Amino acid sequence: MTSMENIKPDVGGMSALSSTLVGDKSASKMSSHSAVSEKKSSSEAANRVPSPTDKDKDNPAADTRNMRRIIAEDPEWSLAIVPTLVELCIKHLVVNFEHNSKVLHDLEPKHKVMLLEKISTDIPLKVTALLVDDEGYWKRCCKARWQICDVSAYGRSWKRMYFERHLQRIIEQFVPETTDSTELTETLPLCSGFVRKLDIRQLLPPVREAPKMGAEDDISEADASDTMEGPEIDHFDFGAVLPSLPYIEELSIVYGVHDAGMNFEWNLFQFTARDCLLLAKCVAACKTLRVFRLNRSKVDDDKVRVLISHLLDHPSITMLDLSHNIIGDRGARAIGKFLNNHSQLTELNIYDNNIRVAGAQAIAHALTKNTLLTKLDMRLNRLGDEGGQAICRALLKNTTLSELNLGSNELSEPTAAMLSQVVVQNTALRSVELSCNRLGPDGGKQLQEGMEENDTITYLDLRLTEVGQESEYCINQILHQNRERARAKRLRISIPSKGSPSPSQSVGA
Amino acid sequence: MSASAEDEEIGPSIDSADPEERIAARRLRITKRLEQLRRAQLGEDDAANKDVKEELSISRKQMEESRHRLLRLVEDGYELVTNIRDATDAREGEWRTDEDEIKRQRKDRLDAEAKSGSEKFDEITKKWESALQKEIPQDLQEMLTQQKSACDAMIDEKNKLITDFQLELKSKDDQYVKDLKRQAEDIDLIIERMDEQVKELTRAYREELGEIETAFVAERSELLEANMNRWKAGVQSRLDKELDYLSTREKRVDDYEDQLRHLRVQDAEEYNMVKIKLETDVQILQQQLQQMKATYQLNQEKLEYNFQVLRKRDEENTITKSQQKRKITRLQDVLTNMRIKLAKQEKQYKEENQQLTDDYKRITEQFKEIQHKSMHFMATDQKKFHEIWLMNEEECKELVKKLLEEERVIYEQQLGLPWTAPDLAFTENVGPITNTRFKKSAISAHQVAQEAFSVTLAPHSDRSFHDEGGSDRPINSTIFTKYSPKLVKQILELLGDEAGFLIESKLNKLLAPLERDERCLMRLDAIFTALSVDTEDDIYLLAGYFINHGLQKPSAARPSSVQESTQNEPQTDRSEKTEKSERDDKQLAPEDRDTDREVDKVTGSREDETDAESTKVAPHGDKWSMFDLIHPNEVYKALRQFVEDHREPPKTNTKHTQFSIAMLDDRDNTEDATYWATYPAVLSDNTEKVWDALVEGLEKYNELVTSRSTLITETDALRQQNAELRMLLHQYVNSRVNQELEIPPTRVLQLELNPPH
Repeated sequence: MTSMENIKPDVGGMSALSSTLVGDKSASKMSSHSAVSEKKSSSEAANRVPSPTDKDKDNPAADTRNMRRIIAEDPEWSLAIVPTLVELCIKHLVVNFEHNSKVLHDLEPKHKVMLLEKISTDIPLKVTALLVDDEGYWKRCCKARWQICDVSAYGRSWKRMYFERHLQRIIEQFVPETTDSTELTETLPLCSGFVRKLDIRQLLPPVREAPKMGAEDDISEADASDTMEGPEIDHFDFGAVLPSLPYIEELSIVYGVHDAGMNFEWNLFQFTARDCLLLAKCVAACKTLRVFRLNRSKVDDDKVRVLISHLLDHPSITMLDLSHNIIGDRGARAIGKFLNNHSQLTELNIYDNNIRVAGAQAIAHALTKNTLLTKLDMRLNRLGDEGGQAICRALLKNTTLSELNLGSNELSEPTAAMLSQVVVQNTALRSVELSCNRLGPDGGKQLQEGMEENDTITYLDLRLTEVGQESEYCINQILHQNRERARAKRLRISIPSKGSPSPSQSVGA
Repeated sequence: MSASAEDEEIGPSIDSADPEERIAARRLRITKRLEQLRRAQLGEDDAANKDVKEELSISRKQMEESRHRLLRLVEDGYELVTNIRDATDAREGEWRTDEDEIKRQRKDRLDAEAKSGSEKFDEITKKWESALQKEIPQDLQEMLTQQKSACDAMIDEKNKLITDFQLELKSKDDQYVKDLKRQAEDIDLIIERMDEQVKELTRAYREELGEIETAFVAERSELLEANMNRWKAGVQSRLDKELDYLSTREKRVDDYEDQLRHLRVQDAEEYNMVKIKLETDVQILQQQLQQMKATYQLNQEKLEYNFQVLRKRDEENTITKSQQKRKITRLQDVLTNMRIKLAKQEKQYKEENQQLTDDYKRITEQFKEIQHKSMHFMATDQKKFHEIWLMNEEECKELVKKLLEEERVIYEQQLGLPWTAPDLAFTENVGPITNTRFKKSAISAHQVAQEAFSVTLAPHSDRSFHDEGGSDRPINSTIFTKYSPKLVKQILELLGDEAGFLIESKLNKLLAPLERDERCLMRLDAIFTALSVDTEDDIYLLAGYFINHGLQKPSAARPSSVQESTQNEPQTDRSEKTEKSERDDKQLAPEDRDTDREVDKVTGSREDETDAESTKVAPHGDKWSMFDLIHPNEVYKALRQFVEDHREPPKTNTKHTQFSIAMLDDRDNTEDATYWATYPAVLSDNTEKVWDALVEGLEKYNELVTSRSTLITETDALRQQNAELRMLLHQYVNSRVNQELEIPPTRVLQLELNPPH
């Protein structure tokens, strides 16, 4: 070690010469070190090795070029902390990825992965949208942006999730006439390939006089009166978005403001006729759409009629959700027409509306002819006994509907009697919900009698119907049997080739 | 069944008009059937399962139990959670109905209020009208205060309503806030219950899992124990069996050992005996082997020799085979070459033939042209000849006339004799002399034949054919002078029958429908053309051949005919022979031989007739009876002879006939000389002599006269000369010149005239 001290360490030229002179221990270290830093020089060094050793004996310091150059032994030095060239390169690429993104295609797969693991999630979408397909990157992006990320709702694709939520955010934050639409127009082409579903939870109305979300509580009243009198305020126009999304399948819209808090104004929740017309047009033009939801938007009869008149004979819509609106009988009639073989609907949700007897009759009439609809949810309407009976009569003829929800519809005994007939005859029904209707003990008994002849219904909700415990218990027993039978059938279908019936089927009374 | 019937009544029927409904109906039916089937199966299964159920294993039971418990738990949990929702829904429903009621009450109240308000308002307004009529200010004041109080009351009422509503609104607001709170509580509750549910479920699941696990373990251990017991029992039984088997085996082994010993002793004895026997056998066999070896060697040598020989032969065979093959290939080459050559030559000859035919055509054309020309020239020559003839004749006639005139002059004037004109009949002839007697050769063979037949037709009615025939026909053939027409006819018939092969077969067919004679004629015609017999002379010649034969061997022919009648067989033999010879001869038309043979047969029968005829004819004493026809069998030979003799001439003849140039030589010029000789014969020798003598005398006379005339002329000339000279002399003498001259010529003249003679 002493002999090494008088030789000055040359940090810059970590030539391989030094490795020959260092002790055994450090030699290996050095050689590896040099190999890492300068791979090319190692081969040259191997050639040069013998000559300097001979000369060194004569005069070590005579020739500066051939002078021994030795690095002082660094006890803290470790190979692990030295980044490889690849790492360095990737680090550099990561830093400059925003400006030079094309390099991604030229990298080997494992390097690509390394690169994608490191690049920032803040890189503009313009760069990454079409370039990066790696799910890991998009997962990071999503995680960085949102706390709760349920990727299962997005077809297990992080990228899709990112783009859909990104686009949702843009649309939800969009204030007509004030927000600059450049962001939207820039993002749209990038998103177009990935967006399948749009779940718009709020749509902001255009700002009048003062900023919409401002703290001016005192103006709000005047504002409200103004807007009521003045021309109607239109919301975001989906005509600009939907045509450029060729793969969109689900669309959920709420014309209203989320989290209005103390800034509540009535006009924040206004779904204008023009909005409705525009929406109806662009939805009708979008032929890929399968699911369409329009909730909590104060959709009244006229708007429903406009919507339905545009959606008639739409080739792909299979689910329509108009829950939490104020659809009345006329709107229900329009929906009935829509059901009447003018659509591909299999699921209809008109939960929490204002449909009464006439509307129920219209829908019931449609049900007698419809052969596609399997789910119908009319909970929280006001069908009354007459409407309920109409629907039950329709079910005597219908053979496709399997789920029916008539909860909280002011039904009573006559409907129960009718339903007991249905239960006996109809074999398509699987699930019926009748909760919160005052059926009474007699109705319960009738239902019980009906159910004793049925073996297909697996779910019948009779809570808060005052049917009496006995009949409820009996019905529950029958339901349980039916469920077991359905399960056995399912099992048999899934294992049809087994000769001997599996013991699991044998679950008797 | 009743239910299904009802179904059908209510559901879509198959007889419906709407196709969709029908489809639906069918579907329904199918589903019903399936359902029934399934139900039946299920029933069976249930029945079966009941038996099996008791045997269910612990684990299965446990699993079923767990499933049920968990299911119940889940259902309970779901119910628990949804209970809240249902409760709120129910509340909402109730609230809505209450709200409706309240709304209705409110509306009623508002309506009542509006009604009472309007009534009061009307009252007030009415009072205003009465107020106008009031004169007294106190009244008005009172009235006004009243009105005001009424208005106030109304306003109060309204205000009260408003405040009521506002109170209600406030209570609603409170209610709303409460509701909100309650909902929040509900939500919290739901969440709490959900969490609980999740926890409970996980716990339950874990428990159930553990229980199932233990059940499985228990079942497994049970199974293991049972199996182990069975295994042990099996092993024990096997051990017992093994021991039994061992003892029996030992016993058996002892038995076998005894038997073996016994057998061994026996076998040893037997072995020795057999050994001795076999050794002797071996010795014998060895001897035989030696012998066999010797014969084998011999055979081998023989076979080797044979093999060598065969190999040699095989080699030779291969050599010859190869040679033959080579030869075959060579010959095939040659054959192909020859074929090629043949084809080439054929082609060449075809070309040549073509060329020659072209030449021939050209030449014939030229020939025709020449013929044409010659015809033309001939005509012109004849014309010229005619003209020259006429000219000469005229000249001659003139000369004769002149001569006769002169003779007459001489006779009358010079001789003073009376002159008699000679015969001048020939001078009446004008143009070339023509002779009709030369036309005898123009009679054609055809005519002769026709004549012969026509002549022979007549004799059928009358025997004296010759005289009549001669009288009938002025142009009688000369041939009939040589042979009788009968004979000629016979000859011709013979020819027609025998030489049928010369006729074309087509013609025969054409002639079939004609009469016999006509047919004969036509056939003869064809035969004549074939034999190139054109003229009567030819027929004559031909007949000569026929008859000559007869003449040559009349004695031979007759006996043969006699022989024929007596002995048929040799004759037929001979005829066959002749036929054979004919066959050899007839190379030209081999196809006709068959027909000939038939003809022969036919004519064979006819021979007798002809013979009979000839015998008949002979007694008649005709001068031609001595001519005997040849036998039909000889006809062929005769024809052949004829053709051979006249082969060349016919050919030329044919050519001549083709040309048919009526040469001038054909004209008979023998009379011409005599004709022309008549002209000089006009003057007889005597007259000529007279003329000669006269000429002589006249010449002498002439001589004398001429001499006298010359003398006269001489004297005349001299006289004239004399006169002239006299004149000259006179001139000279009288001229002045004479005077001038020294010597006057007169003098000289005188001198001269007065020579010293």
